[in-house]
Amino acid sequence: MSDYLVIQLARIGDLVQSKRLLLTLERLGRVHLALDRGLLDLAALLYPRAVLHPLRAHAGNAGGDSSPAATLTDNTAAFAELGRQNFAAVYNLNRSPLALAISGLFPPETVHGYRLDNGQPLCSNWSRLAARWTANRQSSPLNLVDFWAFFHPQVHEVVKPEEVNPQACAKNPFGREHALGVVLAGREARRSLPVDYLAACLEVLFTTRKGPRLLLLGGKSEQEAARKLCRRLKPATLQRVEDLSGKTSLRDLHEVLQGLDLVVTPDTGAMHLAAHLGTPVFATFLSSAWAWETGPYGMGHQIWQAWPPQPGCAPCLESAPCPHAVACLAPFADPLWLDRLANTNSDASSPSGLIELSSRLDALGVTYAEVNEVRTNEPGSGFARIQAARLAKRALVGEYLGLPAAGISKTPLPPEDLALAADALFDEADWMLPDYRVRSC
Amino acid sequence: MPERILVVLPFYGGSLPVGRYCVSALRDNGCLVDVFEAPQFYGGLEAFKSLKVRQDRLDFLENSFLGLVGDALLAQVERFQPDLVLCMAQAPISRKVLKRLRHEGVATAMWFVEDYRLFTYWRAFAPLYDFFAVIQKEPFLSELRDIGVENALYLPLAALPQMHRPLRNSASGLLSNENSENSEVLGEADRLRFGADFSFMGAGYPNRRLAFRRLAALAAQNELDFRIWGTEWENEPQLEKHLRLKGVRIGSEDTVRIFNAAKINLNLHSSVRPEASVSRGDFVNPRTFEIAACGAFQLVDERDLLPELFAADELATFSSLDELTEKIGYYLSRPEERNRIARLGRERVLSDHTYQQRMKTLLGFIRERKPGWPPSLNAEATEQGGGWPADLPPELRTGLEKLRLELQLPPSPDFDSMIAALRSRSGKLDSLECSLLFLDEWKKQYSR
Repeated sequence: MSDYLVIQLARIGDLVQSKRLLLTLERLGRVHLALDRGLLDLAALLYPRAVLHPLRAHAGNAGGDSSPAATLTDNTAAFAELGRQNFAAVYNLNRSPLALAISGLFPPETVHGYRLDNGQPLCSNWSRLAARWTANRQSSPLNLVDFWAFFHPQVHEVVKPEEVNPQACAKNPFGREHALGVVLAGREARRSLPVDYLAACLEVLFTTRKGPRLLLLGGKSEQEAARKLCRRLKPATLQRVEDLSGKTSLRDLHEVLQGLDLVVTPDTGAMHLAAHLGTPVFATFLSSAWAWETGPYGMGHQIWQAWPPQPGCAPCLESAPCPHAVACLAPFADPLWLDRLANTNSDASSPSGLIELSSRLDALGVTYAEVNEVRTNEPGSGFARIQAARLAKRALVGEYLGLPAAGISKTPLPPEDLALAADALFDEADWMLPDYRVRSC
Repeated sequence: MPERILVVLPFYGGSLPVGRYCVSALRDNGCLVDVFEAPQFYGGLEAFKSLKVRQDRLDFLENSFLGLVGDALLAQVERFQPDLVLCMAQAPISRKVLKRLRHEGVATAMWFVEDYRLFTYWRAFAPLYDFFAVIQKEPFLSELRDIGVENALYLPLAALPQMHRPLRNSASGLLSNENSENSEVLGEADRLRFGADFSFMGAGYPNRRLAFRRLAALAAQNELDFRIWGTEWENEPQLEKHLRLKGVRIGSEDTVRIFNAAKINLNLHSSVRPEASVSRGDFVNPRTFEIAACGAFQLVDERDLLPELFAADELATFSSLDELTEKIGYYLSRPEERNRIARLGRERVLSDHTYQQRMKTLLGFIRERKPGWPPSLNAEATEQGGGWPADLPPELRTGLEKLRLELQLPPSPDFDSMIAALRSRSGKLDSLECSLLFLDEWKKQYSR
């Protein structure tokens, strides 16, 4: 049996989003996963068949002593164990310097993705292709889950998109009681709804769904937000609230999520965990969050994607100050949006600057389609143009991977769209230089 | 914290081995050294010549390529953060790059191991270096001062003892090709292959061609074995039968065998003026030091700067062709005398003329002229414990000490020096190396 190693040192969301690749590799042999030790319990639930190699990667998230001495001592032992294995292939999913350092343990030719070759950071043509499409994130053609899945070079061996996560449907293990999970904030605060906005949204969902329990989810740092939210909810709603913020381990969160009717969330690790469990997601995406990149994987999820108020404004870089006073938040306060939530069967359109999306699957993986007609009458909104560019890029990425065109677009795409996409995606060096050419990434 | 030196090698040529010897010596001296391997880029440059395009197009392409090589050098400087960029003569470092380094406060030095009268291009770039070491004295030093070079230094050439060394004569006397594979032994096969009554190893400059025609006649008259090794000996029918290996470039290891195997090594300094075979110039060539360091015997032409480097009993010299031919005969019949002079010559090189000593002199000069240099040394005080985590377990300390020795670092290196040395190394990482690089990135990530 062959052994495969996946190096995934990022946070919860990325760990869950590595699933399609891990499922693929599990069919081929024994999968090893190198990860931050803080995620060990969760990884054991997500990937029970994988051999886990915990590392001290994140200070403060490592559990116990996270000093440099402990980092050096424990990691040396962990790397020695990894070095003893004879991996058929190593998949290094992130180009972080930490992950690159680990890739140096292995013969460079066995490492897919990002690797250190004689001290030189290198990345594969596939990773460089992704770097080019993320230069224009609005028309990003691929979800992160699918991008990582295709690190595996034998495309026909990659598990089908519909095999990744179950079709999302409401669950209620709490007897006849329906329950909604509410994920508070997230690591990136700007892409989360402020409590006022969230309270208004929850009141509508509470009413339309006939008063379900509301479980507030988050870490200790979200406890203050939870208290503020409670103060803004109506008494009847508040009565049904159970504040679990700061009270759940990742293992607890996993258990809670799988018993919910719906999870209301920004782009968070909990959102990906819900999708993994087949729990329907109601996601609000704004600021740096962009559905086509990191939306929930699988069928049955709903996303409200803020559309940039300024041309080229979103998705933005969360760490950079917003020059538009987070104008992409405004549609979430628009009464039209709350009306739309209250009247899901009506043909009322969404407010300007907000697109309602539902998840779809095609030959490449997950994508998102608008539920209602998008209001594109605002000058410069250009949504149709962006969608056409995305579809063309998606078709070319599919072609690059050797997937049938019909599996991505039912109708032939305009040649001019494909030409523009080819210009954006491909670089002369792709066909002039070998893969993994010497290039810093 | 050791000095961090980036040595910039030339694409090719005589200063290339000198550059490699400097790298070795700097490491021996405890410096942290990285190398800009210009020879690796040379193939790309050569390829343009196959285009057979107009000269102006070729010039454009070559200059563009050189610009790119300069950018590569800057990228390495950015990564390695050297205290000093040490360039060998003909190093591919443009004036633009030198200005950029000066602007960014990176100290630069050149060791100009060329004859300034022949390679006059020094005027174009010497003022852009912070330190300029040369192998000649006056009037060169004054001329440098006149064009604004404030920190010029006379730094004669040298030998590298671990390379230029005596080889043991094999006792077996058997013909064996294996001799060449044992780097410390000169076997019978080596003696047959490389030995001679008198030989010369070097390029065919006009003055040497003229002189060696006469020596060829001497060899014929006296049935002596005279051999010539090296390049640029084409179209010289009188010397053809003496030229070995068809005039190919000889590597350093075989050069050492040639020096060890010859009874007399001829060392005639080059000159482009054929009318003066023995030119009586000033600088002393590297061959002088290298033959002496091998404990081999040489006849070297007199040079103005030679007496201050070697005493009269440490080298045998000549000042004319007549004297050379006479002394060949004299020393061939006196092996004990040859051995005595060779031994004294070697002792002198080991005590005064090694690359290790030259590099100490150069760095001492820089330290004296540039207060506060090297900056990395001054940064040492800012980080307690050399940047190492406290309370490392004993087994890890043992592993680190083993790694330090492998990396040729001085005792108790700071964390950053070990990381820089690790990053300069090639190959797969072991668990400790990987963990150190990981910790380095981890520290960077969490100190933001």
